[in-house]
Amino acid sequence: MLVRDVMKSPVLTVGPEATLEEAYKLLLERGIRHLPVVEEGRLVGIVTDRDIRLATSHLNPKGPCPGCTRVGEVMTREVVTAHPLDPVEEAARVMRERKIGCLPVLEDEALVGIVTGIDLLDALLRLTGVTEPSGRLEVRLPDRPGELARLTGFLAGRGVNIHSLLSYPEGREFVRAVVRVNTLETHLLAEALRREGFDVLWPPKKPW
Amino acid sequence: MVIYREEYRLYNFGPDHPFSPVRLEMLTSLLQALGVWRAPLSPPEASREEVLSVHSERLVKRVEAASRGELYPDLEHYGLGTGDTPVFPGMDRAARILVGGTLEGARRIMAGEKRVLQLGGGLHHAQYDRASGFCVYNDLSVAIRHMTQVGLRVAYVDIDVHHGDGVQWIHYEEGEVLTLSLHESGRYLFPGTGHVYEIGRGAGLGKKLNLPLEPFTEDESYLEVFEALVPWALKAFRPDVLVVQAGADAHYLDPLADLLLTARAYERLFRLLLEYAEAYAGGRVLFTLGGGYSLDGTVRVWALLYHLFHGLPLPERLPEGWLRTWEARLGRPLTPTLHDPEGAYPEIPRREEIAKRNRLTLQRLTELVAPHLLH
Repeated sequence: MLVRDVMKSPVLTVGPEATLEEAYKLLLERGIRHLPVVEEGRLVGIVTDRDIRLATSHLNPKGPCPGCTRVGEVMTREVVTAHPLDPVEEAARVMRERKIGCLPVLEDEALVGIVTGIDLLDALLRLTGVTEPSGRLEVRLPDRPGELARLTGFLAGRGVNIHSLLSYPEGREFVRAVVRVNTLETHLLAEALRREGFDVLWPPKKPW
Repeated sequence: MVIYREEYRLYNFGPDHPFSPVRLEMLTSLLQALGVWRAPLSPPEASREEVLSVHSERLVKRVEAASRGELYPDLEHYGLGTGDTPVFPGMDRAARILVGGTLEGARRIMAGEKRVLQLGGGLHHAQYDRASGFCVYNDLSVAIRHMTQVGLRVAYVDIDVHHGDGVQWIHYEEGEVLTLSLHESGRYLFPGTGHVYEIGRGAGLGKKLNLPLEPFTEDESYLEVFEALVPWALKAFRPDVLVVQAGADAHYLDPLADLLLTARAYERLFRLLLEYAEAYAGGRVLFTLGGGYSLDGTVRVWALLYHLFHGLPLPERLPEGWLRTWEARLGRPLTPTLHDPEGAYPEIPRREEIAKRNRLTLQRLTELVAPHLLH
Protein backbone atom coordinates (compact mmCIF):
# COMPACT_ATOMS: atom_id res chain seq x y z
CA MET A 1 0.00 0.00 0.00
CA LEU A 2 1.47 3.32 -1.11
CA VAL A 3 0.95 6.91 -0.03
CA ARG A 4 -0.90 7.62 -3.29
CA ASP A 5 -3.45 4.90 -2.32
CA VAL A 6 -4.41 6.61 0.93
CA MET A 7 -3.69 10.33 0.37
CA LYS A 8 -6.42 12.93 -0.09
CA SER A 9 -6.36 14.88 -3.32
CA PRO A 10 -6.86 17.59 -4.51
CA VAL A 11 -5.55 19.56 -1.54
CA LEU A 12 -7.05 22.70 -0.09
CA THR A 13 -4.31 25.37 0.37
CA VAL A 14 -3.88 28.99 1.46
CA GLY A 15 -1.42 31.73 0.56
CA PRO A 16 0.96 33.18 3.19
CA GLU A 17 -0.87 36.54 2.99
CA ALA A 18 -4.19 35.06 4.15
CA THR A 19 -5.24 36.14 7.65
CA LEU A 20 -5.58 33.63 10.45
CA GLU A 21 -9.29 34.40 10.53
CA GLU A 22 -9.66 33.39 6.88
CA ALA A 23 -7.57 30.25 7.35
CA TYR A 24 -9.52 29.22 10.45
CA LYS A 25 -12.82 29.69 8.66
CA LEU A 26 -11.60 27.40 5.90
CA LEU A 27 -10.59 24.71 8.40
CA LEU A 28 -13.95 24.89 10.14
CA GLU A 29 -16.00 24.86 6.94
CA ARG A 30 -14.18 21.87 5.47
CA GLY A 31 -13.78 20.00 8.75
CA ILE A 32 -10.00 19.66 8.37
CA ARG A 33 -6.98 20.42 10.55
CA HIS A 34 -4.09 21.05 8.17
CA LEU A 35 -3.54 23.64 5.45
CA PRO A 36 -0.45 23.59 3.24
CA VAL A 37 0.68 27.12 2.43
CA VAL A 38 1.44 27.66 -1.25
CA GLU A 39 3.08 30.67 -2.89
CA GLU A 40 3.50 30.85 -6.70
CA GLY A 41 2.72 27.14 -6.97
CA ARG A 42 5.42 26.21 -4.49
CA LEU A 43 4.89 24.72 -1.02
CA VAL A 44 6.34 27.22 1.47
CA GLY A 45 4.84 26.07 4.76
CA ILE A 46 2.05 24.39 6.65
CA VAL A 47 -0.43 25.77 9.15
CA THR A 48 -2.61 23.69 11.47
CA ASP A 49 -5.66 24.45 13.57
CA ARG A 50 -3.38 24.16 16.59
CA ASP A 51 -0.98 26.81 15.22
CA ILE A 52 -3.93 29.14 14.75
CA ARG A 53 -5.45 28.47 18.15
CA LEU A 54 -2.11 29.06 19.87
CA ALA A 55 -1.42 32.22 17.88
CA THR A 56 -4.85 33.64 18.65
CA SER A 57 -5.01 32.59 22.30
CA HIS A 58 -5.42 35.18 25.04
CA LEU A 59 -2.39 33.52 26.61
CA ASN A 60 -0.27 34.55 23.65
CA PRO A 61 2.12 37.26 25.00
CA LYS A 62 1.70 39.28 21.79
CA GLY A 63 -2.07 39.20 22.23
CA PRO A 64 -4.61 37.72 19.85
CA CYS A 65 -5.29 39.40 16.56
CA PRO A 66 -6.91 36.92 14.18
CA GLY A 67 -7.80 39.60 11.68
CA CYS A 68 -4.37 41.20 11.38
CA THR A 69 -1.97 38.25 11.72
CA ARG A 70 -0.95 36.56 8.46
CA VAL A 71 -0.60 32.82 7.92
CA GLY A 72 3.00 33.44 6.82
CA GLU A 73 3.88 34.63 10.33
CA VAL A 74 2.77 31.51 12.21
CA MET A 75 3.22 28.70 9.68
CA THR A 76 5.87 26.00 9.98
CA ARG A 77 8.41 26.59 7.24
CA GLU A 78 10.50 23.45 7.18
CA VAL A 79 7.76 21.13 5.93
CA VAL A 80 8.31 17.38 6.06
CA THR A 81 6.79 15.85 2.93
CA ALA A 82 6.13 12.49 1.33
CA HIS A 83 6.23 11.15 -2.22
CA PRO A 84 3.21 9.36 -3.77
CA LEU A 85 5.26 6.20 -4.21
CA ASP A 86 6.42 6.02 -0.57
CA PRO A 87 5.02 3.00 1.23
CA VAL A 88 2.39 3.93 3.85
CA GLU A 89 4.47 2.44 6.65
CA GLU A 90 7.26 4.87 5.81
CA ALA A 91 4.84 7.78 6.02
CA ALA A 92 3.61 6.43 9.37
CA ARG A 93 7.17 6.11 10.68
CA VAL A 94 8.10 9.66 9.70
CA MET A 95 4.96 11.09 11.25
CA ARG A 96 5.49 9.08 14.44
CA GLU A 97 9.17 10.02 14.80
CA ARG A 98 8.67 13.71 14.09
CA LYS A 99 5.41 13.76 16.07
CA ILE A 100 3.52 15.47 13.26
CA GLY A 101 -0.05 15.03 12.12
CA CYS A 102 0.25 15.15 8.34
CA LEU A 103 2.55 15.02 5.34
CA PRO A 104 1.93 17.08 2.20
CA VAL A 105 2.66 14.86 -0.80
CA LEU A 106 4.99 16.34 -3.44
CA GLU A 107 5.76 15.05 -6.90
CA ASP A 108 8.36 17.05 -8.86
CA GLU A 109 7.86 19.97 -6.43
CA ALA A 110 4.12 20.05 -7.15
CA LEU A 111 1.68 19.50 -4.30
CA VAL A 112 -0.42 16.50 -5.37
CA GLY A 113 -2.00 15.35 -2.10
CA ILE A 114 -1.92 15.21 1.67
CA VAL A 115 -1.83 12.28 4.05
CA THR A 116 -2.95 12.64 7.68
CA GLY A 117 -3.13 10.40 10.73
CA ILE A 118 -6.77 9.69 9.92
CA ASP A 119 -5.82 8.43 6.45
CA LEU A 120 -3.33 6.06 8.10
CA LEU A 121 -6.08 4.77 10.41
CA ASP A 122 -8.17 4.12 7.29
CA ALA A 123 -5.20 2.22 5.88
CA LEU A 124 -5.00 0.17 9.08
CA LEU A 125 -8.70 -0.66 8.79
CA ARG A 126 -8.23 -1.72 5.18
CA LEU A 127 -5.26 -3.88 6.13
CA THR A 128 -6.92 -5.55 9.11
CA GLY A 129 -10.65 -5.17 8.54
CA VAL A 130 -13.17 -7.66 7.29
CA THR A 131 -14.00 -6.96 3.67
CA GLU A 132 -15.50 -10.36 2.79
CA PRO A 133 -17.51 -12.84 4.85
CA SER A 134 -14.74 -14.90 6.41
CA GLY A 135 -13.49 -16.82 9.42
CA ARG A 136 -10.27 -16.25 11.31
CA LEU A 137 -7.29 -18.46 12.05
CA GLU A 138 -4.41 -17.50 14.28
CA VAL A 139 -1.24 -19.58 14.04
CA ARG A 140 2.14 -19.30 15.79
CA LEU A 141 4.93 -20.12 13.35
CA PRO A 142 8.65 -20.65 13.97
CA ASP A 143 10.54 -17.60 12.68
CA ARG A 144 12.35 -19.25 9.78
CA PRO A 145 12.09 -19.35 5.99
CA GLY A 146 9.26 -21.35 4.49
CA GLU A 147 6.92 -21.56 7.49
CA LEU A 148 4.35 -19.12 6.13
CA ALA A 149 4.55 -20.89 2.76
CA ARG A 150 3.86 -24.18 4.53
CA LEU A 151 0.75 -22.64 6.12
CA THR A 152 -0.61 -21.03 2.95
CA GLY A 153 0.29 -24.12 0.93
CA PHE A 154 -1.76 -26.22 3.31
CA LEU A 155 -4.76 -23.90 2.95
CA ALA A 156 -4.40 -23.84 -0.84
CA GLY A 157 -4.31 -27.64 -0.86
CA ARG A 158 -7.72 -27.71 0.81
CA GLY A 159 -9.18 -25.18 -1.63
CA VAL A 160 -9.47 -22.49 1.03
CA ASN A 161 -9.21 -18.93 -0.25
CA ILE A 162 -7.33 -16.39 1.89
CA HIS A 163 -9.01 -12.97 2.14
CA SER A 164 -6.32 -11.32 4.24
CA LEU A 165 -3.14 -12.28 6.01
CA LEU A 166 -1.28 -10.38 8.71
CA SER A 167 1.86 -11.44 10.47
CA TYR A 168 3.93 -9.89 13.20
CA PRO A 169 6.91 -10.99 15.31
CA GLU A 170 6.26 -12.61 18.67
CA GLY A 171 9.40 -12.63 20.81
CA ARG A 172 12.56 -13.67 19.00
CA GLU A 173 11.63 -17.13 17.85
CA PHE A 174 8.08 -16.89 16.56
CA VAL A 175 5.84 -15.10 14.11
CA ARG A 176 2.11 -14.76 14.71
CA ALA A 177 0.04 -15.15 11.53
CA VAL A 178 -3.60 -14.01 11.45
CA VAL A 179 -5.40 -15.34 8.40
CA ARG A 180 -8.95 -14.56 7.27
CA VAL A 181 -10.30 -17.44 5.19
CA ASN A 182 -13.51 -17.89 3.19
CA THR A 183 -15.00 -20.60 5.35
CA LEU A 184 -17.34 -21.20 8.30
CA GLU A 185 -15.43 -24.32 9.18
CA THR A 186 -12.39 -22.87 10.89
CA HIS A 187 -12.60 -25.45 13.70
CA LEU A 188 -12.15 -28.28 11.21
CA LEU A 189 -9.29 -26.42 9.53
CA ALA A 190 -7.65 -25.86 12.91
CA GLU A 191 -7.87 -29.56 13.72
CA ALA A 192 -6.30 -30.48 10.41
CA LEU A 193 -3.53 -27.90 10.93
CA ARG A 194 -2.81 -29.29 14.41
CA ARG A 195 -2.48 -32.75 12.93
CA GLU A 196 0.15 -31.30 10.58
CA GLY A 197 2.06 -29.95 13.59
CA PHE A 198 0.98 -26.30 13.44
CA ASP A 199 0.52 -24.38 16.70
CA VAL A 200 -3.02 -23.02 16.21
CA LEU A 201 -3.99 -20.38 18.78
CA TRP A 202 -7.47 -19.67 17.40
CA PRO A 203 -9.95 -21.30 17.17
CA PRO A 204 -9.12 -23.17 20.38
CA LYS A 205 -9.32 -26.90 20.88
CA LYS A 206 -12.48 -27.81 22.78
CA PRO A 207 -11.88 -30.15 25.69
CA TRP A 208 -15.32 -31.83 25.30
CA MET B 1 -49.14 -24.04 11.71
CA VAL B 2 -46.08 -26.03 10.69
CA ILE B 3 -44.66 -25.79 7.18
CA TYR B 4 -42.51 -28.58 5.77
CA ARG B 5 -42.06 -30.79 2.77
CA GLU B 6 -39.80 -33.75 2.10
CA GLU B 7 -38.09 -31.94 -0.78
CA TYR B 8 -36.40 -29.58 1.71
CA ARG B 9 -33.84 -32.36 1.89
CA LEU B 10 -32.85 -31.79 -1.75
CA TYR B 11 -30.83 -28.84 -0.42
CA ASN B 12 -27.78 -31.03 -0.01
CA PHE B 13 -24.12 -30.07 -0.46
CA GLY B 14 -22.91 -33.66 -0.16
CA PRO B 15 -22.28 -36.26 2.53
CA ASP B 16 -19.38 -34.50 4.26
CA HIS B 17 -20.98 -31.08 4.40
CA PRO B 18 -22.14 -29.84 7.83
CA PHE B 19 -25.40 -28.26 6.54
CA SER B 20 -26.84 -31.73 6.26
CA PRO B 21 -30.39 -32.78 5.33
CA VAL B 22 -29.94 -35.62 7.84
CA ARG B 23 -30.83 -33.00 10.47
CA LEU B 24 -34.36 -32.74 9.09
CA GLU B 25 -34.74 -36.47 8.64
CA MET B 26 -33.61 -37.05 12.23
CA LEU B 27 -35.86 -34.28 13.60
CA THR B 28 -39.03 -35.40 11.84
CA SER B 29 -38.42 -39.04 12.76
CA LEU B 30 -37.93 -38.02 16.40
CA LEU B 31 -41.19 -36.06 16.42
CA GLN B 32 -42.94 -39.04 14.86
CA ALA B 33 -41.43 -41.42 17.41
CA LEU B 34 -42.63 -39.11 20.18
CA GLY B 35 -46.12 -39.21 18.69
CA VAL B 36 -46.41 -35.44 18.30
CA TRP B 37 -45.91 -35.07 14.55
CA ARG B 38 -48.93 -33.64 12.77
CA ALA B 39 -49.21 -33.40 9.00
CA PRO B 40 -47.51 -30.12 8.02
CA LEU B 41 -48.57 -27.70 5.32
CA SER B 42 -46.67 -28.42 2.12
CA PRO B 43 -45.57 -25.10 0.56
CA PRO B 44 -45.11 -24.32 -3.13
CA GLU B 45 -41.60 -23.49 -4.30
CA ALA B 46 -40.79 -19.79 -4.69
CA SER B 47 -40.78 -18.44 -8.23
CA ARG B 48 -37.78 -16.89 -9.93
CA GLU B 49 -39.43 -13.45 -9.61
CA GLU B 50 -39.92 -13.94 -5.87
CA VAL B 51 -36.22 -14.75 -5.46
CA LEU B 52 -35.40 -11.65 -7.51
CA SER B 53 -37.22 -9.49 -4.96
CA VAL B 54 -34.01 -9.59 -2.89
CA HIS B 55 -31.32 -11.04 -5.20
CA SER B 56 -29.57 -9.82 -8.33
CA GLU B 57 -30.37 -11.23 -11.75
CA ARG B 58 -26.69 -12.10 -12.27
CA LEU B 59 -26.56 -14.20 -9.09
CA VAL B 60 -29.75 -16.08 -9.95
CA LYS B 61 -28.50 -16.69 -13.51
CA ARG B 62 -25.33 -18.28 -12.16
CA VAL B 63 -27.19 -20.49 -9.69
CA GLU B 64 -29.54 -21.66 -12.45
CA ALA B 65 -26.65 -22.41 -14.79
CA ALA B 66 -24.71 -24.26 -12.06
CA SER B 67 -27.87 -26.31 -11.39
CA ARG B 68 -27.62 -27.56 -14.98
CA GLY B 69 -23.91 -28.22 -14.64
CA GLU B 70 -22.85 -25.09 -16.55
CA LEU B 71 -20.22 -23.32 -14.51
CA TYR B 72 -19.56 -19.61 -15.07
CA PRO B 73 -15.81 -18.94 -14.65
CA ASP B 74 -16.49 -16.15 -12.11
CA LEU B 75 -18.61 -18.27 -9.73
CA GLU B 76 -16.28 -17.62 -6.79
CA HIS B 77 -17.00 -13.89 -6.96
CA TYR B 78 -20.60 -14.79 -6.29
CA GLY B 79 -19.69 -17.02 -3.34
CA LEU B 80 -20.53 -20.15 -5.32
CA GLY B 81 -18.43 -23.22 -5.98
CA THR B 82 -16.50 -22.59 -2.76
CA GLY B 83 -15.74 -25.12 -0.04
CA ASP B 84 -18.61 -23.76 2.03
CA THR B 85 -21.18 -23.31 -0.73
CA PRO B 86 -20.39 -25.80 -3.49
CA VAL B 87 -22.67 -26.15 -6.49
CA PHE B 88 -24.80 -29.25 -7.08
CA PRO B 89 -27.30 -30.38 -9.71
CA GLY B 90 -30.73 -28.91 -9.07
CA MET B 91 -29.51 -26.40 -6.47
CA ASP B 92 -31.65 -23.57 -7.84
CA ARG B 93 -34.90 -25.49 -7.33
CA ALA B 94 -33.73 -26.94 -3.98
CA ALA B 95 -33.05 -23.42 -2.73
CA ARG B 96 -36.33 -22.10 -4.14
CA ILE B 97 -38.23 -24.82 -2.27
CA LEU B 98 -36.76 -23.59 1.04
CA VAL B 99 -37.54 -19.98 0.11
CA GLY B 100 -41.06 -21.09 -0.79
CA GLY B 101 -41.60 -22.48 2.70
CA THR B 102 -40.62 -19.30 4.51
CA LEU B 103 -42.54 -17.18 2.00
CA GLU B 104 -45.62 -19.35 2.51
CA GLY B 105 -45.22 -18.67 6.24
CA ALA B 106 -45.34 -14.94 5.53
CA ARG B 107 -48.44 -15.37 3.34
CA ARG B 108 -50.22 -17.36 6.04
CA ILE B 109 -49.47 -14.71 8.63
CA MET B 110 -50.79 -12.02 6.29
CA ALA B 111 -53.93 -14.15 5.90
CA GLY B 112 -54.51 -14.10 9.65
CA GLU B 113 -52.46 -17.02 11.01
CA LYS B 114 -50.70 -16.10 14.27
CA ARG B 115 -47.89 -18.60 14.66
CA VAL B 116 -45.97 -20.34 11.89
CA LEU B 117 -43.05 -22.74 12.28
CA GLN B 118 -41.13 -23.31 9.07
CA LEU B 119 -39.09 -26.49 9.58
CA GLY B 120 -36.32 -25.42 7.23
CA GLY B 121 -34.73 -22.31 5.76
CA GLY B 122 -33.06 -19.62 7.82
CA LEU B 123 -30.39 -19.03 5.15
CA HIS B 124 -29.33 -15.73 6.66
CA HIS B 125 -25.88 -15.34 5.04
CA ALA B 126 -27.09 -15.09 1.43
CA GLN B 127 -26.67 -11.52 0.19
CA TYR B 128 -28.12 -9.49 -2.66
CA ASP B 129 -25.29 -10.35 -5.01
CA ARG B 130 -23.63 -13.38 -3.48
CA ALA B 131 -24.22 -16.76 -1.93
CA SER B 132 -22.31 -17.24 1.31
CA GLY B 133 -21.79 -19.62 4.20
CA PHE B 134 -24.04 -22.55 3.08
CA CYS B 135 -26.74 -20.09 1.96
CA VAL B 136 -27.73 -19.76 -1.71
CA TYR B 137 -30.96 -17.72 -1.56
CA ASN B 138 -32.13 -15.71 1.44
CA ASP B 139 -35.55 -17.13 2.32
CA LEU B 140 -35.85 -14.83 5.35
CA SER B 141 -35.40 -11.65 3.32
CA VAL B 142 -37.79 -12.80 0.60
CA ALA B 143 -40.46 -13.37 3.29
CA ILE B 144 -39.66 -10.11 5.09
CA ARG B 145 -39.85 -8.10 1.86
CA HIS B 146 -43.14 -9.77 0.95
CA MET B 147 -44.57 -8.46 4.22
CA THR B 148 -43.05 -4.97 4.13
CA GLN B 149 -44.38 -4.49 0.59
CA VAL B 150 -47.91 -4.48 2.00
CA GLY B 151 -46.89 -2.06 4.74
CA LEU B 152 -46.12 -4.37 7.65
CA ARG B 153 -43.34 -3.58 10.10
CA VAL B 154 -41.15 -6.63 10.63
CA ALA B 155 -38.82 -7.36 13.54
CA TYR B 156 -36.23 -10.02 12.77
CA VAL B 157 -34.51 -11.79 15.67
CA ASP B 158 -31.55 -14.02 14.82
CA ILE B 159 -30.21 -16.36 17.52
CA ASP B 160 -27.98 -18.36 15.16
CA VAL B 161 -24.40 -18.31 16.52
CA HIS B 162 -23.22 -16.59 13.32
CA HIS B 163 -24.04 -12.98 12.47
CA GLY B 164 -27.19 -12.64 10.35
CA ASP B 165 -25.25 -10.59 7.81
CA GLY B 166 -27.29 -11.31 4.68
CA VAL B 167 -30.58 -10.20 6.21
CA GLN B 168 -28.91 -7.18 7.80
CA TRP B 169 -27.28 -5.92 4.58
CA ILE B 170 -30.34 -6.56 2.38
CA HIS B 171 -32.54 -4.42 4.68
CA TYR B 172 -29.77 -2.09 5.91
CA GLU B 173 -31.46 1.11 4.75
CA GLU B 174 -35.06 0.08 5.46
CA GLY B 175 -36.87 1.76 8.34
CA GLU B 176 -39.68 -0.80 8.46
CA VAL B 177 -37.33 -3.72 9.21
CA LEU B 178 -35.68 -4.11 12.60
CA THR B 179 -32.89 -6.69 12.56
CA LEU B 180 -31.50 -7.95 15.82
CA SER B 181 -28.71 -10.50 15.76
CA LEU B 182 -27.09 -12.13 18.78
CA HIS B 183 -24.00 -14.06 17.78
CA GLU B 184 -20.48 -15.04 18.70
CA SER B 185 -18.17 -12.09 18.09
CA GLY B 186 -17.02 -11.66 14.50
CA ARG B 187 -13.53 -10.92 15.77
CA TYR B 188 -13.05 -14.65 15.58
CA LEU B 189 -16.00 -16.29 13.90
CA PHE B 190 -17.44 -16.26 10.38
CA PRO B 191 -18.59 -13.97 8.76
CA GLY B 192 -16.53 -11.43 10.72
CA THR B 193 -19.20 -8.72 10.76
CA GLY B 194 -21.94 -7.93 13.29
CA HIS B 195 -20.18 -5.25 15.31
CA VAL B 196 -22.22 -3.01 17.60
CA TYR B 197 -21.50 -0.03 15.37
CA GLU B 198 -23.30 -1.56 12.37
CA ILE B 199 -26.59 0.19 13.12
CA GLY B 200 -28.15 0.79 9.70
CA ARG B 201 -28.15 3.70 7.26
CA GLY B 202 -30.68 6.23 6.02
CA ALA B 203 -34.19 5.27 7.08
CA GLY B 204 -32.71 2.10 8.58
CA LEU B 205 -30.45 3.99 11.01
CA GLY B 206 -30.80 2.62 14.54
CA LYS B 207 -32.92 -0.29 13.30
CA LYS B 208 -30.11 -2.80 12.80
CA LEU B 209 -28.87 -4.16 16.11
CA ASN B 210 -25.94 -6.47 16.74
CA LEU B 211 -24.92 -8.02 20.02
CA PRO B 212 -21.61 -9.82 19.46
CA LEU B 213 -20.89 -12.13 22.39
CA GLU B 214 -17.62 -13.41 23.79
CA PRO B 215 -16.56 -16.95 22.86
CA PHE B 216 -17.53 -19.38 25.67
CA THR B 217 -20.55 -17.34 26.72
CA GLU B 218 -22.83 -19.57 28.82
CA ASP B 219 -26.58 -19.76 29.47
CA GLU B 220 -26.75 -17.23 32.27
CA SER B 221 -24.86 -14.43 30.54
CA TYR B 222 -26.61 -15.03 27.21
CA LEU B 223 -30.06 -14.89 28.80
CA GLU B 224 -29.15 -11.83 30.84
CA VAL B 225 -28.29 -9.73 27.79
CA PHE B 226 -31.06 -11.28 25.65
CA GLU B 227 -33.73 -10.42 28.22
CA ALA B 228 -32.39 -6.89 28.59
CA LEU B 229 -32.10 -6.18 24.88
CA VAL B 230 -34.84 -7.94 22.92
CA PRO B 231 -38.00 -6.70 24.72
CA TRP B 232 -36.49 -3.21 24.92
CA ALA B 233 -35.93 -3.09 21.16
CA LEU B 234 -39.28 -4.69 20.26
CA LYS B 235 -41.17 -2.32 22.52
CA ALA B 236 -39.50 0.67 20.89
CA PHE B 237 -39.97 -0.60 17.33
CA ARG B 238 -43.60 -1.85 17.64
CA PRO B 239 -43.53 -4.52 14.91
CA ASP B 240 -46.57 -6.09 13.25
CA VAL B 241 -44.82 -9.42 13.03
CA LEU B 242 -41.78 -11.16 14.48
CA VAL B 243 -39.51 -13.34 12.31
CA VAL B 244 -37.14 -15.60 14.24
CA GLN B 245 -34.13 -17.39 12.78
CA ALA B 246 -33.75 -20.21 15.32
CA GLY B 247 -30.30 -21.55 14.48
CA ALA B 248 -29.20 -24.13 17.05
CA ASP B 249 -25.45 -23.70 16.65
CA ALA B 250 -24.91 -21.68 19.83
CA HIS B 251 -25.32 -25.05 21.58
CA TYR B 252 -22.16 -26.17 23.40
CA LEU B 253 -21.87 -29.32 21.26
CA ASP B 254 -21.65 -27.36 18.03
CA PRO B 255 -18.41 -28.18 16.19
CA LEU B 256 -18.22 -24.89 14.26
CA ALA B 257 -18.55 -22.26 16.98
CA ASP B 258 -17.70 -21.47 20.58
CA LEU B 259 -20.79 -20.46 22.54
CA LEU B 260 -21.91 -22.78 25.33
CA LEU B 261 -25.71 -22.74 25.46
CA THR B 262 -27.52 -25.80 26.77
CA ALA B 263 -31.00 -26.96 25.82
CA ARG B 264 -32.20 -25.27 29.05
CA ALA B 265 -31.23 -21.88 27.63
CA TYR B 266 -33.00 -22.70 24.35
CA GLU B 267 -36.14 -23.68 26.23
CA ARG B 268 -36.12 -20.30 27.96
CA LEU B 269 -35.33 -18.45 24.69
CA PHE B 270 -38.23 -20.06 22.82
CA ARG B 271 -40.67 -19.40 25.69
CA LEU B 272 -39.52 -15.78 25.80
CA LEU B 273 -39.78 -15.31 22.04
CA LEU B 274 -43.37 -16.61 22.08
CA GLU B 275 -44.13 -14.24 24.98
CA TYR B 276 -42.51 -11.29 23.18
CA ALA B 277 -44.57 -12.06 20.07
CA GLU B 278 -47.72 -11.83 22.19
CA ALA B 279 -46.59 -8.69 24.00
CA TYR B 280 -45.12 -6.70 21.12
CA ALA B 281 -46.18 -8.17 17.75
CA GLY B 282 -49.87 -8.99 18.12
CA GLY B 283 -48.93 -12.64 18.65
CA ARG B 284 -47.69 -12.96 15.05
CA VAL B 285 -44.44 -14.90 14.76
CA LEU B 286 -42.72 -16.87 12.02
CA PHE B 287 -39.94 -19.22 13.12
CA THR B 288 -37.42 -20.75 10.74
CA LEU B 289 -34.57 -23.16 11.40
CA GLY B 290 -30.96 -22.20 10.57
CA GLY B 291 -27.47 -23.35 11.49
CA GLY B 292 -26.79 -26.24 13.84
CA TYR B 293 -24.05 -28.72 13.07
CA SER B 294 -24.06 -31.10 16.00
CA LEU B 295 -26.80 -33.57 15.04
CA ASP B 296 -27.26 -34.53 18.69
CA GLY B 297 -27.67 -30.98 20.00
CA THR B 298 -29.46 -29.49 17.01
CA VAL B 299 -32.21 -32.08 16.75
CA ARG B 300 -33.02 -31.79 20.48
CA VAL B 301 -33.11 -27.98 20.33
CA TRP B 302 -35.50 -28.00 17.39
CA ALA B 303 -37.65 -30.74 18.97
CA LEU B 304 -37.93 -28.41 21.97
CA LEU B 305 -39.00 -25.59 19.67
CA TYR B 306 -41.66 -27.82 18.08
CA HIS B 307 -43.09 -28.77 21.50
CA LEU B 308 -43.10 -25.23 22.89
CA PHE B 309 -44.56 -23.89 19.65
CA HIS B 310 -47.53 -26.26 20.04
CA GLY B 311 -47.72 -25.83 23.82
CA LEU B 312 -47.03 -29.56 24.30
CA PRO B 313 -45.59 -30.98 27.53
CA LEU B 314 -41.87 -31.72 27.18
CA PRO B 315 -40.79 -35.34 27.18
CA GLU B 316 -37.87 -36.15 29.45
CA ARG B 317 -36.38 -39.17 27.72
CA LEU B 318 -36.15 -39.73 24.00
CA PRO B 319 -37.78 -42.90 22.61
CA GLU B 320 -35.50 -45.96 22.93
CA GLY B 321 -36.25 -47.27 19.46
CA TRP B 322 -35.42 -43.94 17.86
CA LEU B 323 -32.17 -43.69 19.84
CA ARG B 324 -31.12 -47.22 18.86
CA THR B 325 -31.86 -46.64 15.18
CA TRP B 326 -29.94 -43.36 14.98
CA GLU B 327 -27.05 -44.45 17.18
CA ALA B 328 -26.57 -47.42 14.85
CA ARG B 329 -26.81 -45.22 11.77
CA LEU B 330 -24.43 -42.52 13.05
CA GLY B 331 -22.12 -44.96 14.81
CA ARG B 332 -21.96 -42.95 18.04
CA PRO B 333 -23.97 -42.51 21.22
CA LEU B 334 -26.64 -39.80 21.47
CA THR B 335 -27.86 -37.86 24.49
CA PRO B 336 -30.83 -39.96 25.68
CA THR B 337 -32.78 -37.04 27.21
CA LEU B 338 -34.31 -33.94 25.63
CA HIS B 339 -32.23 -31.79 27.94
CA ASP B 340 -28.46 -31.91 28.34
CA PRO B 341 -26.90 -33.72 31.29
CA GLU B 342 -25.65 -31.60 34.22
CA GLY B 343 -22.00 -30.53 34.00
CA ALA B 344 -21.80 -31.46 30.35
CA TYR B 345 -18.69 -29.39 29.72
CA PRO B 346 -15.82 -28.38 32.03
CA GLU B 347 -16.11 -25.23 34.11
CA ILE B 348 -15.07 -22.08 32.27
CA PRO B 349 -12.47 -20.19 34.34
CA ARG B 350 -13.16 -16.79 32.75
CA ARG B 351 -16.93 -16.93 33.31
CA GLU B 352 -17.19 -13.66 35.27
CA GLU B 353 -15.00 -11.74 32.86
CA ILE B 354 -17.03 -13.02 29.91
CA ALA B 355 -20.31 -11.97 31.54
CA LYS B 356 -18.85 -8.55 32.26
CA ARG B 357 -17.68 -8.03 28.69
CA ASN B 358 -21.09 -9.06 27.34
CA ARG B 359 -22.76 -6.53 29.63
CA LEU B 360 -20.38 -3.86 28.36
CA THR B 361 -21.16 -4.77 24.74
CA LEU B 362 -24.89 -4.50 25.48
CA GLN B 363 -24.33 -1.10 27.05
CA ARG B 364 -22.38 0.13 24.00
CA LEU B 365 -25.09 -1.14 21.68
CA THR B 366 -27.95 0.51 23.54
CA GLU B 367 -26.03 3.79 23.76
CA LEU B 368 -25.44 3.70 20.00
CA VAL B 369 -28.99 2.90 18.89
CA ALA B 370 -31.11 4.51 21.62
CA PRO B 371 -31.05 8.02 20.07
CA HIS B 372 -32.41 6.58 16.78
CA LEU B 373 -34.68 3.82 18.03
CA LEU B 374 -36.46 5.57 20.88
CA HIS B 375 -38.90 8.34 20.10
